[in-house]
Amino acid sequence: MIVEFWGHEFKVNIVLGCIGGFLIAIVSSMFGFGGGPFMVPLMTVGLGLPMYVVVGSSLLAIFFNTMMGTMRHYQFGNFDLIFFLIMFPAAVLGGFIAPQIAKRVSPLVVKRVAVAGLVLLALNLLGVY
Amino acid sequence: MKRLWVSVVIALCATLFMFYQNGAIAEKSKEVKKAEVKADRNVGTQPGEKKEPVKSEGSDGAVTIQVDKPSLDNGGEITITGTAPAGKPVYLEVWTDKKVRASRFDAEVDKETGKRPYILYMTYEMPAYYKIFVPKDHKDTLARIRKEGKKWSFSKALKAVGADAVYSAPAKAKIDRYQATLMGSIIGSRGDLLSAMDDKENKKRSMQLVKARFRSPDKVLGPEVEVNPDGAYKAVLKIRHGLAPGKYSIVAAVDKNTRSRPVTFENNITFPNVYLGNAGTSLNLFGPFFLTLAISIFGVLMGAGGGFIMNPLLVSLWPLPHTVVAGTVMPTVLFSQGSGIYNYSKIKFINWKLGIAIGLAMVVGGFIGPKLTELITLDQFKFVFGWILIVLAALMFWQTTPGYIAKNKKEQAILKEFKKKAEEAARAKAGAAGATEGRA
Repeated sequence: MIVEFWGHEFKVNIVLGCIGGFLIAIVSSMFGFGGGPFMVPLMTVGLGLPMYVVVGSSLLAIFFNTMMGTMRHYQFGNFDLIFFLIMFPAAVLGGFIAPQIAKRVSPLVVKRVAVAGLVLLALNLLGVY
Repeated sequence: MKRLWVSVVIALCATLFMFYQNGAIAEKSKEVKKAEVKADRNVGTQPGEKKEPVKSEGSDGAVTIQVDKPSLDNGGEITITGTAPAGKPVYLEVWTDKKVRASRFDAEVDKETGKRPYILYMTYEMPAYYKIFVPKDHKDTLARIRKEGKKWSFSKALKAVGADAVYSAPAKAKIDRYQATLMGSIIGSRGDLLSAMDDKENKKRSMQLVKARFRSPDKVLGPEVEVNPDGAYKAVLKIRHGLAPGKYSIVAAVDKNTRSRPVTFENNITFPNVYLGNAGTSLNLFGPFFLTLAISIFGVLMGAGGGFIMNPLLVSLWPLPHTVVAGTVMPTVLFSQGSGIYNYSKIKFINWKLGIAIGLAMVVGGFIGPKLTELITLDQFKFVFGWILIVLAALMFWQTTPGYIAKNKKEQAILKEFKKKAEEAARAKAGAAGATEGRA
């Protein structure tokens, strides 16, 4: 498939993209996260697209998955309205505050902290400590 | 755009406040009911209790039971006293009227046929709280069961402490069985609904569901009953925080046929504690609120959705079922994604063809995934999530390596240039539109 973006043309292996997207969608909807951090590497490394094409389009692809996943979770009775009403305003509020902080911190530092935090959390989940 | 979001937040706060008000009203009506119950008990227990032994159990003498207070405030201690036939162990069965869902996927090899049954057992009538308090001399037995770790069996534990005849409340829950098939899982159905089970089978399966729901032996068995040689017994029940509000029933029993009539107490939950009906847990709403706030901020900063950190933390910090966590966290990101898409589409930064093509593949995946959530146990959920996080950490680490940063810098520069162009184009368009409007 040929993808056109602001006058540039990119050749994309859509079969690989769809299979990868499908697998990421199963896991992410099963465990209830968005899947962005997996989609972006898939599209940059797997499909060879530059970052500026990927940011918006991967978000659109994930949005499909989140919508379907939400509907299915609701159908299986996994949705708790009060719990949602607690978390949703906090998530929106976080979306407002974050850009203010983002200007002041280096993304590199945040990512390194995140790596350490994720490893700790993962080891905890795996029962290592 | 900003104004829109502010209004959304205000509307949500209003809804939340409404919920709180509703809760407060419900609390009041409960208060009234409680008073009635109290009055009823005053009339019922003292004189009625004494008469009952004569009526029902004749020679053995029946079991009597009293509670020291009619209500608790989000958990606490409640003392149960009463009498039972001398020399017999006394078990106290406690359960709440609030029901939750419990499910268990049976994929273990059947000892008789050697095949894996792949049957999903599911009930909507599991009490949100259930516990059998056993005589104190079973403390060692329970300690042994605890040592078995995750492989403990509720039915064996009940036999070990001699409480299998006492087990009754969850046994009557209606359990549905679904025969799961590979094809069914692919198209995302639970499978065929099998015929209902007989009472004995239902009881056996309900015990497995009790384990699936409450997980640890300490949650369902407690050595708290002190029995005197003359048959009088006393137990101080600790009802923990974060349980379902409403009516709790207690029955004292020595065996299958010798049981007291049920006594009840109320567990009251007041703001800011709220009860999550679907999860069967009540919690202080500020806990998840601030956790979500902190993690969504951090999520935006690190460029990954908060769900990765949210879900494992939620299931670790609160006794929430992983199905409810996964099903509720997912819609919270829906709106931030929507607004992100809106913002990107305004500056024409979305390639619709690419996004929709991969999106369609993802829709199929999103159809299958949620079904699989209920087939796994919490431990499997945590295990797989642990590995997902390790992969994610590796990806994040890769993004901090010098090679990636250099490449990223170049692309960021191009991105900035494009954004500038897009904004100029948008401004020019708006200017033109303004000009035409002005003329009209």
